[in-house]
Amino acid sequence: MLRKKRCVAMLLAGGQGSRLGILTSHMAKPAVPFGGKYRIIDFPLSNCANSGIDVVGVLTQYRPLELNAYIGSGAPWDLDLSSGGAFVLPPYQTGASGTWYKGTANAIYQNIAFIAQYNPDYVLILSGDHIYKMDYAAMLKHHIRHEADLTVAVRQVPWEEASRFGIMNTDANDTIVEFEEKPKNPKSNNASMGVYIFSWDKLRSYLEADEADPKSSNDFGKNIIPKMLNDGCKLTAYTFSGYWKDVGTIASLWEANMDILEERPEIDLHDKSWRIYARNEGYLPQYIDQGAELNRCLITEGCQISGSVTHSICSTGVVVEKGAQIIDSVLMPGVRVAAGARVVRSIIAENAIIGEGARVGEADGDIAVVGIGVTVAPGAAVAAGVQYEPNHGG
Amino acid sequence: MSDIMGLIYTGEMDTRLRELTAVRAIAAVPILARYRLIDFPLSSMVNSGIRNIGVIMQRNYRSLLDHLGSGKEWDLHGKRAGLTILPPFLTKDSVGVYEGMLDALHSNLPYLRSSKEKYIVLTNSFMLYSADFEDMVEEHEKSGADITLMYSKDPGIRRSGQGKYCEVQEDGTVTQIEVDPMISRFDNTMLEVFCMRRELLISLIDLSTSRGHYHFTRQMLQGGVNDKSMKVHGYECKSKVWSIDSVEAYYQCSMDLLNPENRETIFPEGRPVLTKLRDEMPTRYLPGAHVSNSLIADGCVIEGNVENCVLFRSVRVAKGASIRNSIVMQDGRIDSMAEVNHVIMDKQASVRESTRLIGAANYPVLVSKGLTV
Repeated sequence: MLRKKRCVAMLLAGGQGSRLGILTSHMAKPAVPFGGKYRIIDFPLSNCANSGIDVVGVLTQYRPLELNAYIGSGAPWDLDLSSGGAFVLPPYQTGASGTWYKGTANAIYQNIAFIAQYNPDYVLILSGDHIYKMDYAAMLKHHIRHEADLTVAVRQVPWEEASRFGIMNTDANDTIVEFEEKPKNPKSNNASMGVYIFSWDKLRSYLEADEADPKSSNDFGKNIIPKMLNDGCKLTAYTFSGYWKDVGTIASLWEANMDILEERPEIDLHDKSWRIYARNEGYLPQYIDQGAELNRCLITEGCQISGSVTHSICSTGVVVEKGAQIIDSVLMPGVRVAAGARVVRSIIAENAIIGEGARVGEADGDIAVVGIGVTVAPGAAVAAGVQYEPNHGG
Repeated sequence: MSDIMGLIYTGEMDTRLRELTAVRAIAAVPILARYRLIDFPLSSMVNSGIRNIGVIMQRNYRSLLDHLGSGKEWDLHGKRAGLTILPPFLTKDSVGVYEGMLDALHSNLPYLRSSKEKYIVLTNSFMLYSADFEDMVEEHEKSGADITLMYSKDPGIRRSGQGKYCEVQEDGTVTQIEVDPMISRFDNTMLEVFCMRRELLISLIDLSTSRGHYHFTRQMLQGGVNDKSMKVHGYECKSKVWSIDSVEAYYQCSMDLLNPENRETIFPEGRPVLTKLRDEMPTRYLPGAHVSNSLIADGCVIEGNVENCVLFRSVRVAKGASIRNSIVMQDGRIDSMAEVNHVIMDKQASVRESTRLIGAANYPVLVSKGLTV
């Protein structure tokens, strides 16, 4: 028999992330490396661990191999427990039928049995494509204090961007009175972060009703939340004011990486009270060679740096040879930049090799991307904005 | 399942490491930016497929216990085998203070008896090397010897008046053993790494302690070689070896391993050295950082000059500070305009603004744990 849990988290990690282009041609978006030694999913998983939530179902669908291997037993996040832990939940066949996850709500619906094992009072729904540090326990307190059926985490976005988000219009007591998906003329700038806490009995009944409705697209934003509002359920908004970044595009992924290079980054990864955990491998300490030049950069275990790195991130195991120049770029784990090569405003995906004297990216223009394991020939050039992956028709 | 078990003895005398071992057992001494000494024999064992590993503790083992935990980082937390911590304890025959390794083994006979493996590899905890123990046991088996010992011809680990040396014949037979000579007649320094059949070790422990012997090499092994009652084989260590038996040796080892060729010998491809993780963010190099020939762990913030240094996790080097030829352990701080040269700073030590702290290459200054200069 499993111990009853107060709150169980369900992390939607099934998105393909097609706007990340060739970075997600081999893996789901949450598995994409970030910030030198992390992957995007480390942020919600570490938030769970730090918030005292110890059952996390990770719903995967698109290219799950990398993500499954990464999460493993959940040990890096202290989620390898006998009374809970991290569980990878792919869609599965049942006797009568078996379907892919049709939408966010359907993904949870298909895992009602998983949640029910823990008989929780509350269910936290998360997505796996944001960089942020958030105390879900504080949000849960808010939910309980307001005796809500659903609490939606919101953040105030600049008014001119508000029409890109799902906007929650609230009264003076944080009660949500209206929900507008990408409104042309927003009435408020409280944008939904895609982080929800439901009271479990309510969620369960709404998921079942939603599944029975053939016209529904089985989505939280499009179907469940409007329906609950309509039915007079108690919905509250919980305002989050810390750093939060959607990393759904090449440009925003690059920007979020550049954000942590700031002198005082808005998201403090040094914070010992709220560590971001990641799966670590047995790498040597980084070695900075004679003649290396480092200026405002992040360098990780396993790196060997002999060249010049400016305003850039070198992830685990990166090699930058003598005379190579890295500027305003993100080198993902295992990248090798050969002597005399120059990488500017680029994202170089895992284990790619930049040949001697090659040129990738340009000082202005869009971010250049080199795909996973791709070799850029010595002396070759990859222009700004290009996604270079010769074997994938890129 | 491997037919070899491992046993690491961490009870060595360690006064020559001064303050470094005042707060911890030698096996727990931090080394090379992110490791502790025990990581090296332990990882060599794990990389050799050994799954049943005991660690005999004696002195000041709090930080060693904290470091090893359940053995998770080395995948030694399983049910079928894994890590066994063997702390000293009071019995009717022993007060828990071991006279020597043999005495320690005697106290832990129940563990040896309950293990199932045919062979045992026994190591100390203050030598830095990389070994394939499967290869060693294979050679042991072929030689038909009772005991195989590991040795190295590396001149760097010879010491006047201390160390154990042996004469090895062409066929690998060990014919003489010297303990702590002023000048050794033999080129081969023993690493205090042995392999033998587990059952044989159990009977040797019983026999030797019944004769009042406590020391594995000086009494049991040397006696056996001298009166030819034991066939002892020598196995040459394939990697370079560093013996961390004094503050100067510790310092020299760190400086030697700034050289990539030296690093390759103890970090061979495909045989990772594993250690306890701390989940630090990558190291930040801010404007003003000038770094050369240094090994640096994650979590540091560097704004000053760093040359020929080993920096452990979360070290801060402030603007205008200069640190050369030095080792700074976890959470160390070098404040702005400070100048540090030939210094070993233990954990959480700091050097204040504009302070100069200068040692010598053959006599590095040692700053104790938590001290502020």
